[in-house]
Amino acid sequence: MTKIIEPSKQNSIFRRPSSETGIWSWITTVDHKRIGIMYGYAAFFFLLIGGLEALILRIQLSQPDNNFLTAAEYNAMFTMHGTTMIFLAIMPISAAFFNYLLPLQIGARDVAFPRLNALSFWIFIFGGAFLYSTFIFGTAGAPEGGYLAEEVGWLGSAPNGGWFGYQPNAGMKYSPGTAMDYWAIGLQILGIASLISAFNFITTIINMRTEGMRFMRMPVFTWMTFAVSFLLAFSLPIIAIALFYVTFDRKFGTTFFLTEGGGDPILWQHLFWLFGHPEVYILILPAFGIVSEVLPTFSRKPLFGYAAIVFAGFGIAFIGFGVWAHHMFASAISPVAQAGFGLSTMVIAVPTGVKIFNWLGTIWGGKLKLNTPMLFSLGFIGMFVIGGLSGVTHSIVPADTQQTDTYYVVAHFHYVLFGGALFGIFSGLYYWFPKVWGKMYNESLGKIHFWLMMIGFNLTFGPMHWLGLQGQVRRTWVYAEETNLQFWNIVVTVGAFIIALSIIVFMINWIFSKRNGEIAPFDPWDARTLEWTIPSPTPVWNFSTAPIVKSLDDFWHTKYSEDEDGRAVRREEADQILLELEEDGLNPSEHIALPNPSYFPIVLASGLPFLGYAVIYKSIPLALIGTVLLLIGAFGWGTEPLEEEIHLDSDE
Amino acid sequence: MSSSHSYPHEPTGVETRKLGMWVFLSTEILFFGTLITTFMIFKGSDFPGMKLTDVYDIPFTSISSFILLMSSLTMVLAHNALEANDQEKTRVWLLATAMLGAVFLAGQIYEFTEFYHKGFELTTNIFSSSFYVLTGFHGLHVFIGVVLLLALWGIGQRQKGLTLEGGMNLEFVALYWHFVDIVWIVLFTVVYLI
Amino acid sequence: MSDNHIEHPTPKKYVQIAIVLGILTAIEIALYYTEDIVGVFTDPLLIFLAVGKFIIVVGWFMHLRYENKTINRFFVGGMILALILFTIVMVERASANYF
Repeated sequence: MTKIIEPSKQNSIFRRPSSETGIWSWITTVDHKRIGIMYGYAAFFFLLIGGLEALILRIQLSQPDNNFLTAAEYNAMFTMHGTTMIFLAIMPISAAFFNYLLPLQIGARDVAFPRLNALSFWIFIFGGAFLYSTFIFGTAGAPEGGYLAEEVGWLGSAPNGGWFGYQPNAGMKYSPGTAMDYWAIGLQILGIASLISAFNFITTIINMRTEGMRFMRMPVFTWMTFAVSFLLAFSLPIIAIALFYVTFDRKFGTTFFLTEGGGDPILWQHLFWLFGHPEVYILILPAFGIVSEVLPTFSRKPLFGYAAIVFAGFGIAFIGFGVWAHHMFASAISPVAQAGFGLSTMVIAVPTGVKIFNWLGTIWGGKLKLNTPMLFSLGFIGMFVIGGLSGVTHSIVPADTQQTDTYYVVAHFHYVLFGGALFGIFSGLYYWFPKVWGKMYNESLGKIHFWLMMIGFNLTFGPMHWLGLQGQVRRTWVYAEETNLQFWNIVVTVGAFIIALSIIVFMINWIFSKRNGEIAPFDPWDARTLEWTIPSPTPVWNFSTAPIVKSLDDFWHTKYSEDEDGRAVRREEADQILLELEEDGLNPSEHIALPNPSYFPIVLASGLPFLGYAVIYKSIPLALIGTVLLLIGAFGWGTEPLEEEIHLDSDE
Repeated sequence: MSSSHSYPHEPTGVETRKLGMWVFLSTEILFFGTLITTFMIFKGSDFPGMKLTDVYDIPFTSISSFILLMSSLTMVLAHNALEANDQEKTRVWLLATAMLGAVFLAGQIYEFTEFYHKGFELTTNIFSSSFYVLTGFHGLHVFIGVVLLLALWGIGQRQKGLTLEGGMNLEFVALYWHFVDIVWIVLFTVVYLI
Repeated sequence: MSDNHIEHPTPKKYVQIAIVLGILTAIEIALYYTEDIVGVFTDPLLIFLAVGKFIIVVGWFMHLRYENKTINRFFVGGMILALILFTIVMVERASANYF
């Protein structure tokens, strides 16, 4: 089969990009699969950096009164660790899954707005680069008379006010220099990226479903993408405005969050957590979706209580908007508010519990195949339950007051976001590896990765519960020897390095399997959803003809029927159907029109960091450069019709 | 599995880009909601210093509010004319809308300058900061709207004229423009009258 | 492409709607000057009028009345969510010193 590219008509200003391989094809691509892969690699890169920062933190804490880091460097490291992991690692790695899988799962050829999709990816890349450029350009001075008076160093020239940027600590008085500006504007840029992708996914799910793919037939992963997009769309605007205020306070002398001018620091906490708590569910719901795909496949049973899981997901998303103030129990909020938010925090455990029981019900009585994705999903359930339970303890206000800002809280949210979100993500990475690369990963290395990570994870974060209850405080660079906290701190540090080792195993597995792995059959897991009905790796055109869906788990029902006892029996013609599907998928019979690659998303996105620098350094020339880039991007975009397609023909 | 060729499929019957536009506008509610909330919280506080009520000029703002409100009428007339494929009228109404928007903007700039001269500056206190950021953010939206309207008007001058198909067409600009208008309806009441 | 356009109002209707909007605005401004007479009812009335104008523009000028229910639900849902969240924040901030 050969592909012929018809030269497109030259009615836009620049020549349209037309390369299909090489770096330019990736830079100009609007293909959701390529964008997904790029999201994945970029996010993994930031995951490694965030992990490195965590290791630096752990080295510092392995000894009492250690001087591996100065206080200033420690502040910068924990701030960047949190910010990186949340905004640059887990969110975009979820976006990688959304991008790659969402159109496949609903039987679409691409997302609703392919160029906007590319735009949000490039904004994310530029936002991440902008945030990290603080290590080169940023300065974090010492506040007058503060304890940060010693030399800050290049490691400390990063944002240092915590990922939550509490005011007035993150204001100009206590965090002088430009580092916190990099933080505020960097998050602003990253927020734009997520917001655009949220519009895109919402529209895609509502409007790009293939024939017969009713809402209640969508895979749970698609449902969770939907819920996450809602959360993003409705919570990011709040933080955007709040960050806007921070920038104004720092750069233009306003006092939104500074009491000396009549401002209100608690308002920052409200606005931040109005976004910040939905953000927690933005991080965890994709993993819920992945696990809900993996468990039924490897249990060889349909998902137990599909509707309940879907509604519980939306219940979590909705209630997730109403619990934000439980992050503020130690702040000056009214007791009535404390009681109310304590209650709502207890309530949100209910839909979460519904999901846990549904997953257990799915496994129950199934013929389990313990492949790596399944192991990670099972690990996810266990770890997430621990994290969830320690979370419920925070709903009891007096207890929470004790736990606030101790390692107990650190243990809690790492059980949820690492043991939960990241285990789910690794499960998904292994599960869809054959689909993306057309090769199988190495199962034994995968299992080694799982067990190393499981052990390392629990060694790292388990003891933090005790450390926290014994009174070790977060965000503090030393502890005294007399506190007897050293033993468990060493255990934690050892655990962190075991996690690092497990990540190395994962990377080796990934690189070698991608190159030399066995060729994957196109339905290696005997799966249930639409993405497995097409060849691996996915052809550029996804589906050669639009599939028609007749039921939930349609693909499974094509392969299996039920006997009298309700057991699944593989149809005799199943293998034949698979062969035909593969044949059809590789050789589209019709002319397939795909959207063109475009230069303009990256041009448009490249304007934003310039505008960011312009605000930080109050520089008109930089602002002009940024605006010009934005305008060129927008103008080119507007005058370049998407409909002018490249045609992929198949000639046998 | 049988096949059909109906890409792109729109199961809800709503055009995809229109849906995207409405999703965008829905999130804009949260943007302005946050700004208005902040303004209201500070408006109710008893911090000493110069307040908006010390400087504003209700008759002037009423007129500029009315102008923005009427620009919604000219916008909807432009939309209506385009539906009837009357290119001439469409262009006239578009230009009228852009002009009304520009007048509103000019009024806002004048108002800001006046306030500034009366000593009500951005950094004067919390009342002035939240006022300028809130109304300035809205003004930025009006400015973008005017640019979009003028761009549409420019496209309309070309031979083929305007259509309701493809890209950022008149319908979406109209939705955006009306949205900017309804935000001002709320702001006028919340900021000036109450 | 753009659906249901047959039902959209005529230009005459639009002008009538605009006149209504103008009258409502005039009442608003009048209310501002008669605050001494109307007293405590001023603010609720002003909010009521603003909501009325808002609904008229969204419903008729933005054609939300004629739109698909998906769009309706989305926009109204966003509106309600914003109202609930921000009301809680405002009430909490206003009452923090008393309760």
